[in-house]
Amino acid sequence: MDQLIQSLIIGLANGLIFALVALGYTLVYGIIELINFAHGDVFMIGSLIAFALMAPKDVGGFAVFPVTSGTPVLVMIVGILLTLAVTMALTAGLNAGIERVAYRPLRHAPKLAPLISAIGMSFVLVNVGVIFAGATQRTVEAVFPTNNLLEAFGIRSVSVTTSQLFVGVVTVPLLFALSWFVSRTKQGKAMRATAQDPDAAGLMGVDINRTIAITFLIGGALAGAAGVVEILYNNVMVYNMGFRFGLIAFTAAVLGGIGNMRGAVFGALILGEVTSLSDRYVSANWTQAIVFGVLVVILVFKPTGLLGQQLADRA
Amino acid sequence: MSASSEAIGTGIGAWFGHIADSLGGMGIGYRRSLRKSRTRTVILSIIIVLGLIYPVLHQQFLAEFSRNVFPLPLPDDTAMTFMMIFAIMAVGLNIVVGFAGLLDLGYVAFYAIGAYVAAFLASPHWAGLGINLTFLGNVGPGAQGVHLPFWLVIIVAVIVVATFGALLGAPTLRLRGDYLAIVTLGFGEIVPLVFKNLSSLTLSLTLGPIVIAVNNVNLTGGVQGINPIDPPFLPFFNILFDSRSGPLAVYLGIFLLAIAVVVARNLQFSRIGRSWMAIREDETAAQMMGVNTVRSKLLAFALGASLAGVAGSFQASYLGATTSDFFEFSTSILVLIMVILGGVGNVWGVIVGAIALTYIDKTFLPYLGQRVQDSPIPLPNPAQYNFLVYGIILLVMMRFRPQGFLPDRQREAELSVIGLADAEVAMGMPIDVDNVSIAPPGQDETGPGARGPETIDEARDL
Repeated sequence: MDQLIQSLIIGLANGLIFALVALGYTLVYGIIELINFAHGDVFMIGSLIAFALMAPKDVGGFAVFPVTSGTPVLVMIVGILLTLAVTMALTAGLNAGIERVAYRPLRHAPKLAPLISAIGMSFVLVNVGVIFAGATQRTVEAVFPTNNLLEAFGIRSVSVTTSQLFVGVVTVPLLFALSWFVSRTKQGKAMRATAQDPDAAGLMGVDINRTIAITFLIGGALAGAAGVVEILYNNVMVYNMGFRFGLIAFTAAVLGGIGNMRGAVFGALILGEVTSLSDRYVSANWTQAIVFGVLVVILVFKPTGLLGQQLADRA
Repeated sequence: MSASSEAIGTGIGAWFGHIADSLGGMGIGYRRSLRKSRTRTVILSIIIVLGLIYPVLHQQFLAEFSRNVFPLPLPDDTAMTFMMIFAIMAVGLNIVVGFAGLLDLGYVAFYAIGAYVAAFLASPHWAGLGINLTFLGNVGPGAQGVHLPFWLVIIVAVIVVATFGALLGAPTLRLRGDYLAIVTLGFGEIVPLVFKNLSSLTLSLTLGPIVIAVNNVNLTGGVQGINPIDPPFLPFFNILFDSRSGPLAVYLGIFLLAIAVVVARNLQFSRIGRSWMAIREDETAAQMMGVNTVRSKLLAFALGASLAGVAGSFQASYLGATTSDFFEFSTSILVLIMVILGGVGNVWGVIVGAIALTYIDKTFLPYLGQRVQDSPIPLPNPAQYNFLVYGIILLVMMRFRPQGFLPDRQREAELSVIGLADAEVAMGMPIDVDNVSIAPPGQDETGPGARGPETIDEARDL
């Protein structure tokens, strides 16, 4: 029982990181019906930027905002916040740049052309990762203390670590901020209108190109935040992590109903638990196959996802 | 192919008759095209003859020249054999993507299954389970494990892989466009993972009186894979086609590729080929005209996959080993790039694309890398940038020439609406207004991602 609860806690942390990436897929698919295949690799680049900014020089970073286990708490918090801000800005710009270069010229082409273009972009980013991070795994030391936070409440059988708490502290506010942005601001309204009917939205005076660019900016920023969180939580980055992670996140978006933001978060939390339980009770070797199995089953039997698509007929 | 080869019957016999007819008609066809455009035909003939004698030329003369006098980026036997293997795969993927318009991102699954079929049927692997069977294999008597002859292995591989193609294709039938692509991608990832993970299988299953108990059985060799696999072998002549046999393996590859081309070309202009074209252009309209879309799409998956089975079993036999690491997502995309680069839908185009890309991958980038390492100035190794090259090829092709360098005319018209208008204006033809549609963003009307037909399925269900 304790093991199960422990797995569920690990799954929750995984799921929150998946949610940040899954939102990028769902926002983009919602607005231009494109599987942004390069999105997972934007996440990888985010992790790479965070590595370069935080890691000390002896493991290959540049230590712009050095964050190690010995750093004083206040300095560490400032360093992480600055890293988050810089990484999110860079990946947001990267994602919008990708849209400008690879997708916008193909907006009126047959649907498969932008998908193939996205795969090409993904390959380019993977190679950028190889050039800067090398072909092997980059490891950083764990910066957070590893003691069990629940011991303060007298619970010893199940543990919640500082790094897991950190995942929640970063991701949950971002999710609420996004929800507020899309549902309360004027720009959010423009995004929803464009998702519903780009032509009609254009006729109503919405600048379609700008709205799509902003969607990519937001998606890129969230992927960058996920990259920072991932490297601080799991302490590794490798050039090809984007493909695997991206497919899990895409599966999450489809599971919840693509185009549906709540659905993406919901799907990501479910998949977080699925991966963690599979790691624990089946075998880590099979986790990836299980996730792909979920993806195939969902797409084949219920392509609208669990919470239903908010878009008309997109399957 | 020849013009006189139309509808001579059905069945295998008729098919062989058809091939004989085609071969017999080649001379006539050659004379006719020579009359039509002399220079082009002569140049093409010279290129083909040079290509056919190149493997021997390379072995006898060019390799030594390159080694001793001046280093040239010349493909060696291994690179040439891989050109043929990838060309066979590109022809197969072209059936799925080019003819039927179904974007398959998991084609590597069938390549893997083909390779493992060869590994299961012609290696000492099963000796561990105490299964020994030798039938016409090129091994000594009393050899351990299962050894079947290469030609039988290829036939079995085609049947097995075609079955898997249809099986994996079946769940995707209702899907269109990008969802179809993602599901095939999922299968393409699951299949190599299964081969990788089934190295210590323990299970017990009770089905009434039958009890299946398996304890720690090494089914697929796991990460190490399976080796050694028997090389391809021609009985009576005692010729081996392995990685040490020089140009012979290349000629075996050319032979297999020729069969693949004959199959693909015949399919393209057959009844099933026309139904694929109809589905590709507009699935709903095809369905309404009486095309059995389920049967046609399954056949496309099965036939396209079977060529990957040929390529996979040839590759495994040629290298004498197979591991699951060989079958990655990037291989699927590499074959897709070959198809796109050469020209979606055009059999000759995709072969040129496969040869060109394999040349870049296996010969040119390593050669550049060697040059750079020898040069006094420290430069980055270009072989490290292969993914960048592929990515940029995809981006540039989609942006500027989505129909490929040697496009299929029909397909070209489909992929670029403006291209069609241009082409017809250039040819002095009136622009066919019906084919030039102005599609709203994201909702093309000609591509396989068109929306709408769901309602027809629903109406039929009612």
